[in-house]
Amino acid sequence: MVYEALDFYDIDSQLTEEELMVRDMVRDWVEEEVLPKIEEACSEGVFPDEWRVSLGEMGVLGAPLEGYGCPGLSYTAYGVICRELERGDSGLRSFASVQGSLAMYPIWDFGSEEQKQKYLPKMATGELIGCFGLTEPDYGSNPGDMVTRAEDKGDHYLLNGAKMWITNGTTSDLAVVWAKLEGVIRGFIVETGDEGYSAPEMKGKHSLKASVTSELVFQDCKIPKDRILPGVKGLKGPFSCLNNARFGISWGALGAAQACFHSAKEYALSRIQFDQPIASYQLVQNKLSWMLREITKGQLLALELARKKDNGSWIPEHISLAKMNNVDIALDIARMARDIHGANGILDEYCIMRHMANLESVKTYEGTHDIHNLILGRHITGIQSFTRSL
Amino acid sequence: MVEIAVLLKQVPDTNAKIAVVGGRVDESAVTSWVTSPYDEYALEAALQLVEAGGGSITAITLGPMRADKVLKDAAALGVTKLVRIWNDEWLDLDSNQVQSVLAEAIKESGADLVFCGKQSADRNQGSTGPGVAEILGAACVVEVSDFNAAEQFYLRPAASGSEKVTVNYPAVITFTKTESELRRPNVRGIMMSKKAQINLVSSDAGASQVTFKGHTSPAEKPPGKTFEGSDSVPEVVGLLRDEAKVL
Repeated sequence: MVYEALDFYDIDSQLTEEELMVRDMVRDWVEEEVLPKIEEACSEGVFPDEWRVSLGEMGVLGAPLEGYGCPGLSYTAYGVICRELERGDSGLRSFASVQGSLAMYPIWDFGSEEQKQKYLPKMATGELIGCFGLTEPDYGSNPGDMVTRAEDKGDHYLLNGAKMWITNGTTSDLAVVWAKLEGVIRGFIVETGDEGYSAPEMKGKHSLKASVTSELVFQDCKIPKDRILPGVKGLKGPFSCLNNARFGISWGALGAAQACFHSAKEYALSRIQFDQPIASYQLVQNKLSWMLREITKGQLLALELARKKDNGSWIPEHISLAKMNNVDIALDIARMARDIHGANGILDEYCIMRHMANLESVKTYEGTHDIHNLILGRHITGIQSFTRSL
Repeated sequence: MVEIAVLLKQVPDTNAKIAVVGGRVDESAVTSWVTSPYDEYALEAALQLVEAGGGSITAITLGPMRADKVLKDAAALGVTKLVRIWNDEWLDLDSNQVQSVLAEAIKESGADLVFCGKQSADRNQGSTGPGVAEILGAACVVEVSDFNAAEQFYLRPAASGSEKVTVNYPAVITFTKTESELRRPNVRGIMMSKKAQINLVSSDAGASQVTFKGHTSPAEKPPGKTFEGSDSVPEVVGLLRDEAKVL
């Protein structure tokens, strides 16, 4: 079954030659190296190390960053990379998102020259893997209330606290950790092997099974003074990273949706019931038409957002809308595709159930669906609704 | 140090549906074009030879502007000299004409070695490599299935196993499927390819010696057979063994 990416409005014709070549490179890699192994990776609950190596060799980690070994591709190209990776699996795209947008980006934007030179070239090649510690066990949507603390001890900082739901945590060489120093949120680079730092893996997930998810624990963790990110204070730091990651998700979710649509279409054309392919029945055609409609709208949204990212005319609310909408429709498309596949849809022979389970996580990470709604609500009304006095 | 010319042909994607109109493939209906797969093996061999012993590669294609894509793809892998041969008045060159204009471009490139696929994925004629060798007065080794880049010897299937050959320059080598799949590009290579210059050339193709008289489609496949019940197993096995010859 040759993959034909749904592109009803020929949106990819808007891409540059370079962006198309990057698309083809990642699409071929996913087809040849990821899809034959993804179900086994999920069943074993591992992220195969050869994928890290290949992503580094292809040069797609930190793709939109420029300098320090990073290629400086357009944000449109970065979106296309995310779309093609997530067509393989959301866990794969998550790995690249966290490495590029959440770990490399803050060092690139807020780090010292020494930090940039030390970490970024090796992170771009995948030799060093990073993670991002913001969410805590009791503070998810409200990270401003985080309890992880840093103390200035003269010749070092001392970190205490814990982070949770950290992609790549256990396998990372370094973590960009956000903690309060004298009441102000600051970014710190914690290296594996730092005294008082551990990153136990979280087990038992029914979603993102081919992705490593961890806790980060800091117990009197000593950090050298030169590991604080000097260029940012407050929530602006982590939110800047999240904007880039959410942008990638808005494209990535379309990859998962396109994979589900493709499978559903092929299945509907080949599955015979009452002597006819089920694709000939109006109820099934209605579902396929709805999928096509929503994917096409999502593609237009993602492309226009990418143009805004590339020309600098974006605002965070644009990203909230695209992340929220495209994950929402992708999850609905996965559920509908499962319906079209009937009982077969639950088998690992098809990608449907895996994408559906993954998207359940994607819907609530990097800003939940509801929080993005509230961000838009605040933008419309000017009234903050996240908190209220009781 | 060796100068290698690699001949790359752009063909309809082997997975794509094609339509035949007026006895010819309707190129305007082809949605996806790719580098002919055997040519990819030739390109990978050339890359490995240059990596092992130095030298340079000229990628040459014959075709309209859309064929620039195969050259850009080669540029993304590090090929710096790119040549496209075309004349808008060429409608349908025959094999001799193709070999003639390719040989002219190869001479211009100064190549000692010419690598290409054993046949293209669209016409499957297998005439380009030997034909170019004839015009160039070069040695020709066909259907190479393996090679050693460091020692520059080639293996090709023979009736009793495989032959190991070396060859004096100038030479034309045609490749069948080898163990060395064409490497994947990376972002840096893709960005470099954006700056790569394609040299557009043309030459006198001469008059065609072949006249196309018509086309006959292959016979319709007979309808499939349906078998039901376990009693039919022996018959199915017999047909698969004796008729389909897949067992």
